[in-house]
Amino acid sequence: MCGRAALLSAGIGLSGCLEREAKEQNQSTNLTGAPGKSGKFIEGSSGGDAETLNWLLASDATSFGYIGLTLDGLMTYDNNFNTILRWMKKDIEVSDDGLSYTVTLRDDLEWSGGKPVTSEDFVYTMKNLMFADWMAYSYAGDWKEEVDGKSVFIEPGVDNETTFTIHRKTVNPEFLYTVTDLNVYPKHIASKYEGDVKTFTQAPELNDLSYTGNLGPYRYKEWIRNDKIVMEHNPDYYGGKVKGEPYFDEYIIKIFGTSEARHAAMEAGDITSTGLEPEQVKKFKEMPSVQVFTVPTSQYQMMQYNMRDNGWAGLKDKKVRQALTMAIGKEKIIQQVRLGFGEPAYSFIPKTSPWYDDTGLLKLGLGDLYNKNKAKEMLLDAGYGVRENGEIKLVDKNGAKIKLKLITNTGSKVAESTAFLVKQELGDIGIEVDIKLVPWETELRKYYMNKVPGSDQQPRNNNGARAVSEEPWDLILAGHFVDLLQPSGSEIFFATDGGLNIYGYSNPRVDALFKKARSKEALDKNVRKEVYAELSKILSEDQPIDFFTFPTANIAFKADVKGIEPGINMNYNYMEWYFG
Amino acid sequence: MSLRTYIAKRLLHAVLIAWGVMTAAFFLMRLGPNSPADKYIASLGAGHNVTAVVAAIESRYGIDKPLHEQYFNYIASLLQGDWGWSFGTSMPVMELIKTHWIYSFQLVLLSSIFAIVLGISLGMFTAVKKNSRADHIAAFFSFAGISIPHFWLGIMLILIFSVKFGWFKTYYDTSLPMLSLENLHALTLPVFTLGTGMVAGYSRYVRSAMLENMGKDFVRTARAKGLPERTVIGKHVFRNAMLPVITIIMLDMSGIVFGGAYITEVIFGIPGLGWMSLKAVFADDYSVVMAVTLIGAFVTLLFNLLADIAYIYLDPRIRYE
Amino acid sequence: MRLAAYYWERTKRQRPAMAGLAFIIFLIILAVSGPFFTVSPTQVNFDEKNIPPPGFTLEQSIYNASSGGFVTTVQRGTWEHPLGTDGMGRDMLAMLISGARVSLLVGLLATGIAIIIGALIGITSAYFGGAMDSVLMRATDIFMTFPFLLLLILIVYLFGSSLTLIIMAIGLTGWTGTARLVRSETLSLRTREFIMASKALGASHLRIIFYHLLPNTLSSIIVLATLSIPGAILAEAALSFIGLGDPQVASWGNILNAGQGSLQTAWWVAVEPGMMLFFTVLAFNFMGEGMREAFEPGGD
Repeated sequence: MCGRAALLSAGIGLSGCLEREAKEQNQSTNLTGAPGKSGKFIEGSSGGDAETLNWLLASDATSFGYIGLTLDGLMTYDNNFNTILRWMKKDIEVSDDGLSYTVTLRDDLEWSGGKPVTSEDFVYTMKNLMFADWMAYSYAGDWKEEVDGKSVFIEPGVDNETTFTIHRKTVNPEFLYTVTDLNVYPKHIASKYEGDVKTFTQAPELNDLSYTGNLGPYRYKEWIRNDKIVMEHNPDYYGGKVKGEPYFDEYIIKIFGTSEARHAAMEAGDITSTGLEPEQVKKFKEMPSVQVFTVPTSQYQMMQYNMRDNGWAGLKDKKVRQALTMAIGKEKIIQQVRLGFGEPAYSFIPKTSPWYDDTGLLKLGLGDLYNKNKAKEMLLDAGYGVRENGEIKLVDKNGAKIKLKLITNTGSKVAESTAFLVKQELGDIGIEVDIKLVPWETELRKYYMNKVPGSDQQPRNNNGARAVSEEPWDLILAGHFVDLLQPSGSEIFFATDGGLNIYGYSNPRVDALFKKARSKEALDKNVRKEVYAELSKILSEDQPIDFFTFPTANIAFKADVKGIEPGINMNYNYMEWYFG
Repeated sequence: MSLRTYIAKRLLHAVLIAWGVMTAAFFLMRLGPNSPADKYIASLGAGHNVTAVVAAIESRYGIDKPLHEQYFNYIASLLQGDWGWSFGTSMPVMELIKTHWIYSFQLVLLSSIFAIVLGISLGMFTAVKKNSRADHIAAFFSFAGISIPHFWLGIMLILIFSVKFGWFKTYYDTSLPMLSLENLHALTLPVFTLGTGMVAGYSRYVRSAMLENMGKDFVRTARAKGLPERTVIGKHVFRNAMLPVITIIMLDMSGIVFGGAYITEVIFGIPGLGWMSLKAVFADDYSVVMAVTLIGAFVTLLFNLLADIAYIYLDPRIRYE
Repeated sequence: MRLAAYYWERTKRQRPAMAGLAFIIFLIILAVSGPFFTVSPTQVNFDEKNIPPPGFTLEQSIYNASSGGFVTTVQRGTWEHPLGTDGMGRDMLAMLISGARVSLLVGLLATGIAIIIGALIGITSAYFGGAMDSVLMRATDIFMTFPFLLLLILIVYLFGSSLTLIIMAIGLTGWTGTARLVRSETLSLRTREFIMASKALGASHLRIIFYHLLPNTLSSIIVLATLSIPGAILAEAALSFIGLGDPQVASWGNILNAGQGSLQTAWWVAVEPGMMLFFTVLAFNFMGEGMREAFEPGGD
């Protein structure tokens, strides 16, 4: 759910998404000795507060993080992507033809007040809420398929009390990961507010999560906006019947105005855990009272090349894009901006994904392929330079100096530093970069959203090949999230009609491959593996964006928190953590 | 005109002004280019009918109707005591304000007490010791106090007393009981940050008001009668000097609540009205911004009225016109 | 001219005022000549980031992913960067001087706008009286009642953080004090003989306003303007501090905002612009106060 909520991150700072992703429970981990102490677990955050606990209306990762504490979800994955069942009795069953997905629920799930959670609740949530016109659910598109040229919703149906099946008409092997993210509302409460989005938005029971029964390790207790949310130990938790998980009395998320205050609170021992800024890591690693885990994340920082008509014409040329990428050192970005916390990126699938394959990747911007002279020569070949006394001087087609306009958002130190580093690197080969910092909202409105000039299109992020944004731009720094299990979700960034393909990239081969990843053929995992390898390779050559880095995150915990397994999904067993 | 009609007239005037402020704020926000729908569109995937999504979101926020209709609807619900729904925090605005006002209030109250006590003492002292070395030093510090930017002072205090010495936390802890020594301790730096400028200002007002009265005839008479200096200063000069000072303090109040306190809350992470309204501005949370603006206007008008009444009460010679 | 000389004589006797004036002149010279002797304030150099001022040291560590250890280097202050550098290796001295330009610009222009609007509204209101007066004064009341900072934040948030807009916004929200003052001064002037006389002689409204009323309120306007400049400078800094400053310019508030995230390490990035702000505001306050005392009849 998290990955879907924030495909696009404001700037290229790390969002809190990963830290709170998939806070679900694992019953298989064996625990040596029951925890002796109890206490409050306080997580420090400075990224802002959640918007709503009414999950259908949420569009921010923070909201999903809060909600996840009280609603476990159907299942989750551990650090090695093994399936960990939550609300389900057994794994989702996919029919051989790939058209139906059967979910079997545990039979001991209850809403508050004791009503059992049934498959009817799930089917109701989909049919009457998620798919309803009046709701305009932001992620409804994930539940649609293309049938006879029309986009229609898939069809869920109740099999019995605890089993329901979702029927598709077309095959999409990766739809599985959409199903695993399914959440639920109690039909007996939600139906009171059905039909009018305003009433639904303001429904008290849906906003205070008072319906969550035994569905999650914690229960909602108190939420002081912009200050903290307090969740308390849920004594009824279905997962804690034997050993009494979770082991904390309260799980509190405390919001700080600045990261500085957050770090100081961690140092003083006022909070139990928080993410660390790169420059703070060494200090905390040396503290005996603190343990710090350096873990991979599921996003990459990148720079988008504007291939639309209002960008520098040169950017439409693949050779030019490759040359620019070659002139910007990935190691430099990692060392100077992220102080070493990151992995170089060449394409969109990170090492941590089971689909990663680096055969044939064009590794521009690193080692031999970080070469400013070579970059200049390539630009000269592309017609953007002249040779003077043996030196290459880069000039635009009209003979003037090449000037590029780089946009990034305000409020992110990482984004700003990266912008200036790009300016320095491109300045070295004689290209002038003009940095423009704008607030995120402005960036979306003026630089992301586009439409065909003179038309009456509703502006959106990709309005076709001829659409352009309100303000011209050449380069935009930002971050993309990638779903490690179903990278085909990145279609949105790279397919010709992808909803967030703001830069106007189009390669029919890429479109075909993304289609193939979601086709019948791809039911065979080897086919999918090949598809992703080829996609990675093409994108590393085409360079619609300069993939900079896959950042690594640093998360500090008090030394007495036990049971943590560091990794990409380290929170998967958070209800088993304890103070030792 | 009786006092009662005077106050009634002032009240009517205040209502008129409040309406003006409300109207200005309402239209100002709607004139901006932002739409709450923007951020939803930004995260939309493929397969969406953007126009439908925008329409649904606008209807959820109640901004799909013509502007004048929205305006009259807003006034109508306001008159029924309904402040609207906060989309940024998902709760009724009234509830939101009920939980947060106290954090601003305690900060302003403590800062005012701090500033009034210290400001008046300092002002009296420097007036009595006019042109002495102590007076000059005090004058310098008052100017420094007025000139120092709040936010910088706050950061420096955190740097020195929280980061270096570790005497205070770097953030305000809302879990402390409101009426406790710990809470008072936690508010020390914020109160000092907000209070410094106020002390400096008040001490200057008091000093000049005292000096003005010291030269007056009735003081000379009192002195001539052989009254001890302490009585002359304490009783005659001070009492008369307090009149303009109280007025100024009252008139200053709203500037403090919605100027300095605002920034102080942001620095120390105090979840009061200031920080809340700042977040609301950034989240396009119209109804919260409206509510805070109205409360701000209300506080200003209230203190203006109180200042007027105080004036009449303290100096019966003043006629209200 | 004689009057100006007289006031100058009186102001000159105020020592703090003169100190303030000296500082401001120094600042203006610095701001104007800065580009000729400092490096460019936008020149980044990541190899020279976070250099402390001379006499201080700072440890910087870079993580080595393959070994899991850190490579630590010690940065020592050098006279090449007498005030140190920021997190991107920009020279603090150059940035502060360029920030001085921004702050002075904001202070003078915003105050100028506020004073012009305020004076016009005040004079019009008092001179014409009646309905005009009522309408203008009610408008003034509404403006005064609107929470100032919130209004400023709203305008800048809604219409974009450009320096021009910030200056306009501060000017457009800051005129109420001037309007009130000018109105009350004009009210007392309006019935004075020379005004009555020129009215009787058939002088036009404009002539009376610009030749008689305005010059006679000028001294109070100048004092008020001087005392308003620090407010305008601080307003811009406060906006920048909460992240609404013009990101394109290195104003003191912007530098301070960026620096508060690294207080524990590169403390000078937040300390230095704050000091500059403080001294500049203090200087204007001293000067304004000195002028006020000098201009006041029998003020010393």
